[in-house]
Amino acid sequence: MGSVTVKGLVKQYSDVPALKGVDLNIREGEFYALLGPSGCGKTTTMRCIAGFEDITEGDIYIGAQRVNDVAANRRNCGMVFQSYALFPHYNVFENVAYSLTVRDLYRGSYGKRVKSFARLMSKKLGKPPKELYQKVMDALQTVELDHLAERGVGELSGGQQQRVALARALVMEPAVLLMDEPLSNLDKKLRNTMRTTIRTIQQEIGITTIFVTHDQEEAMSMADRIAVMKDGEIVQQATPTELYGKPLTPFVADFVGSSNIYDATVIDGRQVKINDQFVVHTNGVTENGEAKVLIRPEGIKILREHSESRNVIEGKVTMSTYFGPNIRYDVNVGEATVVVEQEFEPGIPVYDQGDHLFLHIPEERVLLL
Amino acid sequence: MIEKHKKPTRFQRLRNWDSLKLLKYAVIGFFALFLMIPLLSVFIVSFTGEPVNLFGSFVNPEILSTNIERLQNASFEHYANLFSSGSVYLSALNNSLLLSILVSVIVIVMCLPIAYAFARTAMPFKKTLAALCTMPIIVPTFISAAGFIIMFGRTGWVTHVFNTMLGTEGAIFNVYSMLGIILVQVFFFFPFALWPMVAAFKIADLSVEEASRNLGAKSWSTMVFVTLPLALPGMISSALLIFTVSFSDFGTPIILAPDGLNLIVVQAYREISGFFNWAGASILTVIMVIVAAIFFWLQRLATKGKDYGTVSGKPKKVKLNAKKAVTLPLFTYTSLVVLLPVLTVFSVFIQSIATTWGRDLLPRGFTLDHYATIFTRSTDNIMNSIILASGALVISVIVATLVSYFVVRQNATKLDFIASIPLVVPGIALGIAFIQTFNTAPLQLTGTAFLLIVAYAIRRMPYMIRSTMGSMMAIRSDIEEASVNLGASRLLTLTTIVGPLMLPGIVAGSILVFVTVIKETSVTILLAPSEWAPMSLMVFQNILRGQMYTASAMAILIIGVVLILQLVANRLTKNSLY
Ligand SMILES: Nc1ncnc2c1ncn2[C@@H]1O[C@H](COP(=O)(O)OP(=O)(O)OP(=O)(O)O)[C@@H](O)[C@H]1O
Ligand SMILES: [Mg+2]
Repeated sequence: MGSVTVKGLVKQYSDVPALKGVDLNIREGEFYALLGPSGCGKTTTMRCIAGFEDITEGDIYIGAQRVNDVAANRRNCGMVFQSYALFPHYNVFENVAYSLTVRDLYRGSYGKRVKSFARLMSKKLGKPPKELYQKVMDALQTVELDHLAERGVGELSGGQQQRVALARALVMEPAVLLMDEPLSNLDKKLRNTMRTTIRTIQQEIGITTIFVTHDQEEAMSMADRIAVMKDGEIVQQATPTELYGKPLTPFVADFVGSSNIYDATVIDGRQVKINDQFVVHTNGVTENGEAKVLIRPEGIKILREHSESRNVIEGKVTMSTYFGPNIRYDVNVGEATVVVEQEFEPGIPVYDQGDHLFLHIPEERVLLL
Repeated sequence: MIEKHKKPTRFQRLRNWDSLKLLKYAVIGFFALFLMIPLLSVFIVSFTGEPVNLFGSFVNPEILSTNIERLQNASFEHYANLFSSGSVYLSALNNSLLLSILVSVIVIVMCLPIAYAFARTAMPFKKTLAALCTMPIIVPTFISAAGFIIMFGRTGWVTHVFNTMLGTEGAIFNVYSMLGIILVQVFFFFPFALWPMVAAFKIADLSVEEASRNLGAKSWSTMVFVTLPLALPGMISSALLIFTVSFSDFGTPIILAPDGLNLIVVQAYREISGFFNWAGASILTVIMVIVAAIFFWLQRLATKGKDYGTVSGKPKKVKLNAKKAVTLPLFTYTSLVVLLPVLTVFSVFIQSIATTWGRDLLPRGFTLDHYATIFTRSTDNIMNSIILASGALVISVIVATLVSYFVVRQNATKLDFIASIPLVVPGIALGIAFIQTFNTAPLQLTGTAFLLIVAYAIRRMPYMIRSTMGSMMAIRSDIEEASVNLGASRLLTLTTIVGPLMLPGIVAGSILVFVTVIKETSVTILLAPSEWAPMSLMVFQNILRGQMYTASAMAILIIGVVLILQLVANRLTKNSLY
């Protein structure tokens, strides 16, 4: 039911191509992140799936149904907007009840339709039916807001508004949940809590979720799979681990985690000369010639003494920085700069600017892109 | 498994057919039927000289062939006659232009010190004077004109006082003249110019002024050489606005213009209601619309990129001039200017409670009989006004809300343009266009209350749209998308989300529609069937018949209703001028 398939999606604004052929394969129950820099077309993709944009070319399927010609209000996609887009004239309960009341208005008996319409116009015009009331309260309970049901939405904090928006989208039991940078308006601490909340709820309900973000950390920590986008195209679609370990392009490598990326010459398929400065062995195989090489900073080991083993090079520290639980060294090897990250533990040697050290780059960490 | 790519069935296409699209066509149809086609048919008739039944052409081939024949006879003959010397039309146009130019120049000169006083000085009683300087525009002009007759007519009380003091005989000046019309328009239209000028003075770059003063310039020379030029675009725009208002005004000239004085609005009215002269009425209508459009366009040009109409929420702190030598003369001057409109309305009031009044300062005695009369014998007129105004209100609320929606959300610029055309169509012109278009089958609507209601709605539409568009723009589009996402159609979203959020703007706008319809005269006189005569028409007819007492009582009732509703509307939009 809840899988989402996008095939060759093209979206052309009058003169700008926003999407140039996007293919996505999102499995049922999957938490799927769309990751990419500003302006790459994440929002556009999501709006096409939700039905807010007329698509120029391509097909979109929700479950087995092709939804190209299905109006936005019949697609059954729950959407959480970046600005939450709560209805300011309704209280928390009415906001969450909206989709169910609208459903009654379209589907119910005539008496029910009239009553639903009256309730949409003013809450003074009638009480919600028991079943609907229960569903709404359950949804509010899921986001732990049942005690604020009668509050006006203007009197809520950012995080609470966010959770109302989530409950409002979830209550209609959509086939897909769409979230466009839902956490970007929250402060850092709250963002971390909400990440957990959203992920937990998603797991409990098992709902297919598409999550747009430009924050790689957010995507990496929450998603089952990630699609990295650039200039209206999908560059790579993979699990977080895969994306980190086997980025397909320098862009992905750079976007996902910190990285050393070099122009290199492959000498005999197993050895590469980096930046014309030093030679390392690799167990990736390519043809001889020009290539790009990625070495993750935390894959590099620091040795105090020179060692005869392969892939050990000497360098000089030009800068050392603490960030988070890590120390980061910028090391000059010849004229190339190698960034090294090491987890800080008491007792390990710490190097200062100007210190000499030896770096061991394991063969399997030298990735050819 | 994924289904094969299938074409949507007809049923699906029908279901997905946006009901809003239908509404959009309905709105466009409304404007086509009641604005574009009437204007077009007047334009055609101005060449053919004989009525052309556009709607008839569609249903009846006979009518079509007559029309084609008439079109073949179309010529510039009627326009040529217009410009031949000694033509009545030409003198009407000349007189009207002269009147409007004089009124706008006098208004600007008269308002200069007052605008300066409000913008830059700590004049005493500023709030009270501001209220009094707004009041004149809510008084319908035919009532102001009647007030002038009560004061300055041959038996007017001012005339009497004047004559006793100087021992003279006869009127101070003849109210039934160009001068009378000019005075009424100047003293009752000046607020239209005053408040934009106050805004212009406030906005004019203060730093430049201060620099000039620091360089040692005297404050009067700063005023003349720096402040005035900076405020000039605002003043020019105000002058052009006054021109258009004066040019389209019907209430003053119809009461005060003597037989020998041709004015275009009066002439057009006579052509259509007196002589049924289609050619003449059409030509005058076309000319009125063209002149009003040109001046409207010039006014837009003068204010391009500058928002003089609104005083922004955070005005710069101006150091107000508090010198007694400046503020006292300004206070005296401003009070004298507002004294005339205040006295005029007061005279109407006294007349409405007088037993007999004339050739004396005071009435013989006081009575409430005239009010009793209007509340017993004229309840029909009161009811008619309420029904007609409510009808116009409903139509304009619906159409204006939809237009704002299409303009703001779907960027319907053409619709925006069409909906603002009524701004340049004087009431008399619209009335004539309606009579010509709807006086024969298949769409014979002349003489129905419906046509009158539509005419009111069309005339007030641009103002209503301005009011609803403002609140529409304040609604973020993602709120609507959220509603659609939650399963509501665009139409349901418009009803449950957009409508309620726009409500304050809609209410304020519709009160203003109600108010202006109650005051309206020009369209009313041309289109109101006798069984639907509203209050304004009753006042008008009573003035013409010389029944000043009941006319005054009804006039005071109108002013009272208008005043109260206007205050409510201002409260709602919080758009106080001060
Ligand atoms: N309505 C529009 N008209 C024209 N171009 C548009 C429109 N909306 C988006 N675009 C363009 O399409 C491209 C993709 O926009 P989109 O909003 O999808 O980016 P995004 O990835 O969501 O970026 P962000 O992270 O900043 O939200 C951008 O280049 C943008 O300028
Ligand atoms: Mg975006």
